[in-house]
Amino acid sequence: MTSSEILLAVDIGGTFTDIVLFDTATQNITVEKVLTTYPDPAIAVLDGIRALIARTDIQPDHIAYVVHGTTLITNTLIERKGAQTALLTTAGFRDAIEIGNEGRYDMYDLALVKPQPLVERRLRFDVPERITADGTIWTELDTAELQNLCQQIKEEEIEAVAICFLHAFTNPAHELEALDIVSELLPDVAISVSHQVAPGMREYPRTSTTVANAYVQPITEEYMARVEDGLRESGISAPLNIMLSSGGTTTVEAASKFPIRLVESGPSGGALAGVYWGAQVGYPDVLAFDMGGTTAKAVLTKHGDLTITNQSEVAHVHRFKRGSGLPLMVPMIELIEIGAGGGSIARLNNLGLPTVGPESAGSTPGPSAYGRGGTQPTVTDADLLIGYLNPDYFADGTIKLDVDSARTAYEPLAESLKLSVDRLAWGVHQLVNENMAAAARVHAAERGLEIRRYSMVATGGAGPVHACGVAEKLGLQRVIVPPLAGVGSAFGFMTAPISFDFTRSYVSHLDSLNLDELNKILDDLEKEGRSIVETAGIASDEIDVQLSIDMRYVGQGYEVRVPFAKQTLNVSHIAQIRSAFEDEYKQFYGQLANGVPIEAVNWRVVISSPKPEIGKFSLSTDITKDTAYTSRPVIFTAETEPYQTPVYRRDVLSIGWQAEGPLIIEEAASTTIVLPDWSARVDDSGCLVLTREEKTE
Amino acid sequence: MSTPIDPITLEVIWNRLISVVNEQAAALIHSSFTTVVREAGDLSAGVFDREGNMIAQSVTGTPGHINTMASCVKNYVVPNYPIDSLEAGDTLITNDPWEASGHLFDLTIVSPVYHKGKGVAWFASTCHAVDIGGLTMGGDATELYEEGLAIPLMKLFERGEPNKMLFDIIRANVRVPDQVIGDIYAQQVGNNVGAKKFIELLEEYDLDDIEAVSQMILDRTEIAVRNAIRDVPDGTYTSEVMIDGFDSPITIGCQVTVKDDELIVDYAGTSPQVNRGINVVLNYTHAYTTYTLMASLAPGIPNNEGAFRPIHVTAPEGSVLNCRRPAPVSARHLIGHFVSQPILSALSTVVPDRVIANGSAGLWNTMLNGTLADESPFAYIYFSAGGMGAGHNRDGISATAFPSGIMGVPVEAIETAAPVLMHRRELRQDSGGAGEFRGGLGQEMALEIITGKPATHSCMYDRTTYPAQGLNGGLSGAVGEVVLSDGTHPHPKSRYTLQSGKHVILKLPGGGGFSNPTLRDPQRVLEDVRQGYVSIDGAETDYGVIINPDSMTVNIDATESKRKEMNNGG
Repeated sequence: MTSSEILLAVDIGGTFTDIVLFDTATQNITVEKVLTTYPDPAIAVLDGIRALIARTDIQPDHIAYVVHGTTLITNTLIERKGAQTALLTTAGFRDAIEIGNEGRYDMYDLALVKPQPLVERRLRFDVPERITADGTIWTELDTAELQNLCQQIKEEEIEAVAICFLHAFTNPAHELEALDIVSELLPDVAISVSHQVAPGMREYPRTSTTVANAYVQPITEEYMARVEDGLRESGISAPLNIMLSSGGTTTVEAASKFPIRLVESGPSGGALAGVYWGAQVGYPDVLAFDMGGTTAKAVLTKHGDLTITNQSEVAHVHRFKRGSGLPLMVPMIELIEIGAGGGSIARLNNLGLPTVGPESAGSTPGPSAYGRGGTQPTVTDADLLIGYLNPDYFADGTIKLDVDSARTAYEPLAESLKLSVDRLAWGVHQLVNENMAAAARVHAAERGLEIRRYSMVATGGAGPVHACGVAEKLGLQRVIVPPLAGVGSAFGFMTAPISFDFTRSYVSHLDSLNLDELNKILDDLEKEGRSIVETAGIASDEIDVQLSIDMRYVGQGYEVRVPFAKQTLNVSHIAQIRSAFEDEYKQFYGQLANGVPIEAVNWRVVISSPKPEIGKFSLSTDITKDTAYTSRPVIFTAETEPYQTPVYRRDVLSIGWQAEGPLIIEEAASTTIVLPDWSARVDDSGCLVLTREEKTE
Repeated sequence: MSTPIDPITLEVIWNRLISVVNEQAAALIHSSFTTVVREAGDLSAGVFDREGNMIAQSVTGTPGHINTMASCVKNYVVPNYPIDSLEAGDTLITNDPWEASGHLFDLTIVSPVYHKGKGVAWFASTCHAVDIGGLTMGGDATELYEEGLAIPLMKLFERGEPNKMLFDIIRANVRVPDQVIGDIYAQQVGNNVGAKKFIELLEEYDLDDIEAVSQMILDRTEIAVRNAIRDVPDGTYTSEVMIDGFDSPITIGCQVTVKDDELIVDYAGTSPQVNRGINVVLNYTHAYTTYTLMASLAPGIPNNEGAFRPIHVTAPEGSVLNCRRPAPVSARHLIGHFVSQPILSALSTVVPDRVIANGSAGLWNTMLNGTLADESPFAYIYFSAGGMGAGHNRDGISATAFPSGIMGVPVEAIETAAPVLMHRRELRQDSGGAGEFRGGLGQEMALEIITGKPATHSCMYDRTTYPAQGLNGGLSGAVGEVVLSDGTHPHPKSRYTLQSGKHVILKLPGGGGFSNPTLRDPQRVLEDVRQGYVSIDGAETDYGVIINPDSMTVNIDATESKRKEMNNGG
């Protein structure tokens, strides 16, 4: 991408589809928010794009780059509306996806329900073949039996087939052979193969991932084709790029082959936006905090690097219970998901104490104050009652908030607790802040990070409302509220490089690595990744190749990820890899296990384009209008009276403006609360930067 | 804080306390050195008030650790070392099986916390050490003394200085000192992190101590548990379960008495302690008893000292559930996991909707030892689960551990770590006990050693003679079986030599069914047959459902008459 181009980003969310058009030459940014359409989200995408183009004087064929993130895959898995899928596995192991990890995700729930496999048992077929852990063929693939099975599959009207053989990530020969046979005999069926979709050890998550990929493949392919056609019809000739959950984008072709890599693309856009704005303001260690109607999500990034995990879940039986989903083994930005949003409902728990969530009124019927039939007391209702929200200016004035309904919703709870409604509302606000802070705190502790050094980037409708409160509980000194916080994910998409990565399990003691074999594997991965990224139009010499190695001491269960320059590895590199591992290990665990041999487990090659360069936004510098337009009483502490707090409109604040809290800044997409002891200013980048005064005792 | 604490502040502080113990556990896991802590999550962490009442615990952990740790701090640590007799930087340690968690492997490490010159709380954790000397994990010892190093309650750190003498003794007594000592430090790191975050909490909320908060939380928990108990009709409910035992069968007798809002579980009628390391100390019996009762009657209510107050557990002294010193106890979970079974059966007569039928309960521990091609030794152990029992309105879960919280190991991980080839690992058809709601299926594995040399296979398998009973007319699950490819049956609790090229087949037990199987919707039985969970023969014999194998449809008339015949005792 050059410096003057027109970029288009589209993010489908649960309620809204956000479309952002950014002209890097004029630095003008235009936003369109339309309601997401069901069951076909492509309608909203295309209608929205057309409406947006009609509002500007941009020629569609001047659009140089289109990037799109979608919840289609996740929704298809949650709603179980994917393709009729069959599974071909090593004979004797068709139950791997049903047996799972043999554990229970909730110790105290005797009525526990495990996630149902996406393929029913009768459609899971045994294929005689066997490869051992070191890649040796123990039993040849029985091609005749496989052909019989294909015939059976044909009779069942199967739309997609997943192939997952044991140890295929070590030796894919049988999977490749099976792929040939199946694609020849079942030409109309989408096929997913485990060593390509999820080439890592552990048959349960690998099979689960491969099956999920097959299950969503047909629907994704159709959808992508529809969007591409629609773009062409609208006169947009730029190629469509698809956002991945790992923070990169890829071609439609690769996305259609590996749709399971798109699962959490929306939140990864939010994380990218956090990284981008943190860097703009000059604070690369960021806690990206996004709070919407039903959930809050947070991501910790150190020096702008996003942590990529290979272990995640989708389509949970219990939304916020770890272990209740289908396991996925694809690269994904590590997210902290918190069961709290504006719609979360306050109630009494079984100790008779007030608690918030995880039940949510969502956006329909929504909080009581929306007046859309909701009667439950929610976080948004509490925020309204304590004066944080403006009843006449919420969601750009599209929703009028009804204070009386909010009050009525809280009355029964307040009565049973013998508290005033205001006191309870203030308490609910504190509780939800505490819960979100706790999730971030524990996540940081699990990774040995000192969270106090981080700056929060707050997005989402409810993010800036709660940001200072959560930051105080975490001991953070700084909160950044970027412009366009309401379309943060779509904006983040624009900052994503075109990128793809492959991980191969290749377990070996560091001292006995077969370098010839390994170099061949790594070169193959690089070649495969390059071909995807080059298809997207990136010149070969612009492509960046990164290697990381997951390593551990022999006997350990978890690995440490060690970055290492991608090159043809020779014996002299081994010592360097060892010392790189020891550095990472020490940082993570504090001490080395000297004398214990080290083994490398997974090898990950990331191929990416340079990150797109985005300029600055145009923002007013006229400071004459920077005054409060009104004020309202706001409750900041349990003990003191409401404080008459000045209220500003964000769109009139210019670069360089600053003021001391408490104050409120309203904008179309959100409301920023600047607590007492905090000050606010508008940074050069257009971000609101909130800073806490160091307490001096 | 002078003003009384309102419910909101209480809930905020309570949530923060949970966050603090989770941070304690995270720091511990993070710095731990062993997979048993890191992957299997075999640890517990918690915060206690001055008097040693457990207030909050981390989300990690198994029942055997959490509740025994609670009892250890309150009944052993605090009476011997009142908080004011210690100083900041002191830390205590013990692995006494009777006072702590039932075998020498579990190290309980406890640190007092001081604020404004006063003792305000304790942080404690219990972790399974990878080794403690003695005979390794198993039931082979005949006395405790053979099972390893015993550490009576003593100081591990004094004013921050390690007790060098004790560390030297531990180092000299265990096979992998770096890992064992490393994890002890990890526990200390966890306690320190907990203490630091705890003091931050006191400062943020301007509290001098946690006593008022603790009292309110424990009282409210106690009330909630008492209310839950009150929902169970008064009376005494009896059950009994038979299990294989080591050399001879063991009976677990159980009487559950509900009296208003108190609940007493008495294990009268339980077999005497045995000469093998499978005896259970009362503390551990107590832990799995309270766990089972909480999961059944009061799920979602916090598990703390307040919850334990209305629950009383007794077992005859000298029985296998309340063994006397110096009984061997190393593999106490082999028996201990079964106490959940008669409790749920006893309660089923009055609160059938709160229980599940018996399941395979005990994990199947497979241990393999031998030498590789290059003569270097290998040793590998993994755990597997059979089926869980059915509930009053749902089928049991197949191949899932209960009451243990441990997870299984993928075949690819087993084969990478040990010279084993698994020939199959699949659900065991017809192993789920028939019922209106079917028991969970066991699983079947076939494996062989591929070194070309024989290896030792140590079996620790139960329910090969006594199946998991169904409830309310539901049938038993299938018993487990160990069989070699030549048709011979090794003893399910023995070691034997597995010859190269020979397969051993492990058939894990299924869970019991719930309610009369002839009440199961024939279409659901058909669906089970289509999916292969039940055979066509099984459908006929166990459920009275006649399926036409060609059309795969239910023969309704034949089914009706068959069911009638079954219910008339035919």
